[in-house]
Amino acid sequence: MDSNLGKRQHAFSNLMLSALMSASLVSVAADENTTSPAQEKKPAAKPVETAPPAQTRRPREKSFPTIASGEWTGPKLSDGQPDVSGFWSNTIGNHGNLTDPQGGVIGEARRTPLGPRDQRAPSRVSDPADGQFPFQPWALAKVKEFQVGFHNPTYPGHVEPNARCAPGGVPKSLYWHGYDILQYPGYVVFVFDNGSRIIHLDESKPHLPEKLKLWNGDSRGHWEGNTLVVDVSNHNGKALFGRSGEFISENATIKEKYIFANDRSRYNYVGTFTDPTVYTRPFTITIPAIKYTRAEETDGWNLEARWAKHAGKTQILEHDERICHENNGGFGIGSAQR
Amino acid sequence: MNTAAIKNPSWFKKIGLTLLLLTHVFAFSLVTSNADAHDATKIPRLANGKPDFSGIWQTTSAADYDLEPHSNRKDAPPGPGIVEGGEIPYLPKALEQRKKNFENRATDDPALKGFTLGVPRGIYYPEPFQIFQRARDLNIVHQFGHSVRTIHTNNTEHPEDPNDWWLGDSRGKWEGDTLVVDVKHFNDKTWLDRSGNFHSDALQVVERWKFLDPNTIEYKATLTDAQVFSKPWNISVILHRHREKNFQLIEDYRYTLDYDQYYPPKPDQK
Repeated sequence: MDSNLGKRQHAFSNLMLSALMSASLVSVAADENTTSPAQEKKPAAKPVETAPPAQTRRPREKSFPTIASGEWTGPKLSDGQPDVSGFWSNTIGNHGNLTDPQGGVIGEARRTPLGPRDQRAPSRVSDPADGQFPFQPWALAKVKEFQVGFHNPTYPGHVEPNARCAPGGVPKSLYWHGYDILQYPGYVVFVFDNGSRIIHLDESKPHLPEKLKLWNGDSRGHWEGNTLVVDVSNHNGKALFGRSGEFISENATIKEKYIFANDRSRYNYVGTFTDPTVYTRPFTITIPAIKYTRAEETDGWNLEARWAKHAGKTQILEHDERICHENNGGFGIGSAQR
Repeated sequence: MNTAAIKNPSWFKKIGLTLLLLTHVFAFSLVTSNADAHDATKIPRLANGKPDFSGIWQTTSAADYDLEPHSNRKDAPPGPGIVEGGEIPYLPKALEQRKKNFENRATDDPALKGFTLGVPRGIYYPEPFQIFQRARDLNIVHQFGHSVRTIHTNNTEHPEDPNDWWLGDSRGKWEGDTLVVDVKHFNDKTWLDRSGNFHSDALQVVERWKFLDPNTIEYKATLTDAQVFSKPWNISVILHRHREKNFQLIEDYRYTLDYDQYYPPKPDQK
């Protein structure tokens, strides 16, 4: 299935290359929610072993419940952590557009007109209340430039780094493909399709020296009831927030809350970003997520795991290796230089 | 008491016997406390009693420079190799390919592109990896590329219709305190070391993980690949636990280094 991912990436990469070569292909820049003609030309070499006969696809949510921070009454692991291990995915859309997650990629030709704004999922920016990023003027100008350059790149920085399989970083990894949450005494580990993130629950462990800058930053966290509270430093700011180009600098600090429902069916990510280099004030991003429990619900993007083969009667979900860069096609200025 | 002892030789005997016994007990306790350090019961264990390999590990061997015995080179320290019997039993045609790989190692080693190292190379590559372990599986996070390999230990089997994976498909079983892992369904895109030792997609690796003491793992693997090797061959390497205070993995996504200078936008950038 990861070769499928690779093929998807490859198709997307070819699109990016095309976009680099020719502005005329703007209209086919694929929204990952749809299947582009280029993707259709590249079927998986092997049928997906786990594709069940009756496959259903979960629709995107247009709204989502608030989950209050509070007591954890669900199952716990032996070290006392709420047991939230499993396969998770965001519910409202991917990284195409942060402030209008179901509004398509900014500047992309649409097949169907958009309806009224209130019939689509809200902005991922939950504070400020207007749903807009509180950019400083220079930064807003850079974002606008990116939104044009994304479709017709004239500078290497116009290529969305995730298209090169760079790690999605914080917070984008949480609204890219589905991902695993693994838990061990002292750790919560996120395994993404490109990159992984280790959250240390031992907060007496100091952060890495400031000079070290990382795609996923350096995370320390602890549980407060149903909420995983995480402090992120050492972020390199290189992973853009999405195809709409929003970003933070390497001076940003991030305070995250992962607020889990006690029935373990979903959680809301609430991340507060403070970055005086780029923004006029702190802002908050909210990302709803659901737990994935049925292989039948695979959609090859957010929900992709399969039933393990074994002699027992219980169904066990498992996921293939998550590989991106190695399966990615040659594209873009970076690879052309190789 | 002395008088009594002199008067009654049996007293003397008793004291002597007691002393003898005490000495024995003392000597035995020395032996046992020494044995305790190597006692299998002292290794870390999960709640289910299985050895717990959780921790950050790394080899000090020069294996990744060349699995076979080699003198020093400009790009490698000398090493006795980690192949049982010394040499890898290549088929003649494969040996030619290996020689070509060696000549082109400065450009052709997939690790230079930051590619996932594969199995078993990720284990003896000279960067740390962290084992996260629970009853159902072990997840190995390699600092290099932060790639994650899952070894399933929940009695699940290799999938029926597999792909060719970079890390293969790993299914483990416990033989006493030894974790035995069967790994197959690889692609042919990884090398076994930076000197050009290689394999095909027919590679099968059987690993044996065992504690020598709480801070040392003996890692052995048997490599079978009928397209490349004339017979199965074995490697053995020792892994040491990182015990430095606050030691942690630091992500190493080096494949981003060619372009990461372009991000994020900066105020003074045109």
